[in-house]
Amino acid sequence: MTHARKILIALWPPALVLIAAIVVIGIWAKMLAEPFMLPTPQAVAQVMVERRGELLASLWTTTQAALIGFLASAISGVAVGMALSASTLVRRAFYPYTVFFQTVPIVAIAPLLMIWCGPGLTAVSLCAFVVSVFPVISSTLSGLLSTDPALEDLFRLYGASPWARQWKLKLPYALPSIFTGLRVAAGLAVIGTVVGEFLVGLFGQEEGLGVRIVSAKKQGRTAEVFAAVLIASLLGLAMFACINLAAKLLLGRWHASEQEQR
Amino acid sequence: MCPARIESFRYYGSFDMRIAGLQKVFDSNVVAIDHLSLEIQPGEFVAILGPSGCGKSTLLRIIAGLEKPTAGTIEINREKIAYVFQDAHLLPWRNVLQNAVLPLELMRTNRSDRTAAAREALEQVGLVDAVEQYPAQLSGGMKMRVSLARALVTKPDFLLLDEPFAALDEINRQKLDEQLRQLWTRHRMTVIFVTHSTAEATFLANRAIVLSTRPGRIVADLPIDLPEDRRSDVRSSPKFAEITHQIYEALEKGGA
Amino acid sequence: MMRRMAILCGFCASLIGGCNKKTPPTATGPVAIQLTLDWKPEPEFGGFYAAAQDGAFNRHNLSPNITPAGEGADTWQLVATGKTDFATSSADQVLIARKQNADVVAIFAVYQTFPQGIMVHQSRGFKTLRDVFTQHGVLLAEDNSWLHFLENKFAPVEVEMSYYSGGISEFLAKKDISQQCFVTSEPILAKHQGGDPQTFLIADEGFNPYTTVVICKGDLVKTHPDEVKAMADACREGWRDYLDHPDAVNTTMHGLNPDMDLQTFGEAAAAQKPLIETDETRSSGLGTMTGQRWKDLAAQLVSLGLIDASVDPGQCFVNP
Repeated sequence: MTHARKILIALWPPALVLIAAIVVIGIWAKMLAEPFMLPTPQAVAQVMVERRGELLASLWTTTQAALIGFLASAISGVAVGMALSASTLVRRAFYPYTVFFQTVPIVAIAPLLMIWCGPGLTAVSLCAFVVSVFPVISSTLSGLLSTDPALEDLFRLYGASPWARQWKLKLPYALPSIFTGLRVAAGLAVIGTVVGEFLVGLFGQEEGLGVRIVSAKKQGRTAEVFAAVLIASLLGLAMFACINLAAKLLLGRWHASEQEQR
Repeated sequence: MCPARIESFRYYGSFDMRIAGLQKVFDSNVVAIDHLSLEIQPGEFVAILGPSGCGKSTLLRIIAGLEKPTAGTIEINREKIAYVFQDAHLLPWRNVLQNAVLPLELMRTNRSDRTAAAREALEQVGLVDAVEQYPAQLSGGMKMRVSLARALVTKPDFLLLDEPFAALDEINRQKLDEQLRQLWTRHRMTVIFVTHSTAEATFLANRAIVLSTRPGRIVADLPIDLPEDRRSDVRSSPKFAEITHQIYEALEKGGA
Repeated sequence: MMRRMAILCGFCASLIGGCNKKTPPTATGPVAIQLTLDWKPEPEFGGFYAAAQDGAFNRHNLSPNITPAGEGADTWQLVATGKTDFATSSADQVLIARKQNADVVAIFAVYQTFPQGIMVHQSRGFKTLRDVFTQHGVLLAEDNSWLHFLENKFAPVEVEMSYYSGGISEFLAKKDISQQCFVTSEPILAKHQGGDPQTFLIADEGFNPYTTVVICKGDLVKTHPDEVKAMADACREGWRDYLDHPDAVNTTMHGLNPDMDLQTFGEAAAAQKPLIETDETRSSGLGTMTGQRWKDLAAQLVSLGLIDASVDPGQCFVNP
């Protein structure tokens, strides 16, 4: 197969998606835009250029909270998953309560956060954490519980310590599952951050994207609302891409999910 | 049903393993093994055959200490046991060398010693060129050889194998049979090899034990009177066919 | 064949007959209008409910459907996109709307004096509103024009500001939390629940937009001036009624908004009177507005960067 042909084969799926996106944007520009409700794509692009300083400052604030919330979820989620995997009794006792994190509406706990931590980075990061921790717990637990029994036998045969079983067998075995959970958590962390900013975000020079969205909406600057929303999605995408990169590095050599398609 | 007694003591020569009155009943009230007694001398190569579900894998696992019998006694020195499973069961995130070295790593042997031992074991199964590769890149036969090397790395006195080559194609299987037999002639560890294949049992072992259908009882305990040094040509000898047939008849008698 | 024709004719006739039922009422029947409020039923809207309850709307040939605030679009957006005929808003919102080329116009102003205030804990010992902004603490407020005005006036600002989501629970829980309020309601509520509220009126700092103004499409003013005048007159009568006899209407509103108790309704209704009825309204009538006030407000918003000079304050209102 010639080199040119290889490139063509690799490129046509994303090219098709690009064309579809252009068509959709075209329809948006011509037919869907409504004054005060849905700005034209040109208006959104324009405001992204004009107010790029403010938008970037907001992006930085939101990114900080999203990263802190996500890292907290990742670390504590894996830790809790490991703890729950240790004993059936512990699992049966506590696992149902972790679902609480999945279902509690942030709106309900926001006033408490306001009182305990005051508005700003801590409270918003906590929102991101609450919203994104459960998938990590759940996928870690599931991964740890599905270790190959023959390998467990092997470890037992050679008298492996529980520490060796955990770190040399169960945790690496669970990594692909953990990464699935982390991918979900990344997106949720961004959502949680923006929603947190709607509720307990700090106004002012370094207001986050969520605050900017509400603020711009109040002042009737709908193009800016959409610009901020777009940037927030790009943040989610960037975090997702980072996790995929990490997965490739850690799992690339050995897990089917990272192997080339045959 | 009397509780099981498991005695473990230092090998002092007359037998390597003795089982008396062994019984295993699973939670579902399935009686896998019923009153089985067996004695194995050091250095024997024993093949265990039987129909599916007769308890031969369970027997092997009890010998290895992975299961506890419901009744009966088993006397064995478990200090140097190695086990080879039906599938290679390698750790996919470790390369060939790191997989082979695993038992010594778990037993806390120091790094340089264990690396040397792993390389040696891999050499013995002919994989010295593949040490950097990962299981995802290996064929079935190569994976099984890594599994074998992993079992050999501790220089075991007792090697237990549970139908290890059953998933391989005929050519690979016979090659590995030969390799195993050579390793045995070299190291003279006691081997218990569970298999479905009468030909494989005849080629590899000097004693074949045939179990009946569930619950497994010993139907036949046949010596295999073939030369020590066995190459692939021994498979076409008339003695080979005769012994294979004997084992086959014993299987039929046991209800296979 | 003939039977089928008969059935078909009968079917069509019933369709047409059904259609006839849907033709709009004749000019002599009341005109159905939608009035959307920008908050829950509280004394700030008393006059509208009074007008509905005591027949002021009917007398002016209007049949109103009053709906309280919902989440989502600002009321000026609802008016501009035709989702509602009339709504309540504030003067600064009208200016901002017009900057966005939304043709909304104010026709009646309930509050002559801006009723927004900042409620703080008395124990904090603040002397002026400047103190509140330049000292450590938390201020819960909506991100409205008046907040920008105060931030600008008292810059550099020390206090941390975040969202006000309604109620007074955060305020009651922590001493260093202050919040925005309608001077006629939240402080009264807070006192009833054992708090120590102290209120600063924002109008005292020089920001004084007309509030709870009734808005409609500028188009409507041109094409249906009678309807607009009828609405303004009905509101005027309703508010007169409410200012004089609030109790019955308070009961109605309390039924719609049980979160506020009847006693607070009564106290708030009394407290808001001087903000609604002033010497000006005694001479020119309740709800009327002046061009000067709109000009001053527009100039303030321009200097805050919230609108630009393209917005003509004279176009923002009428006194029908």
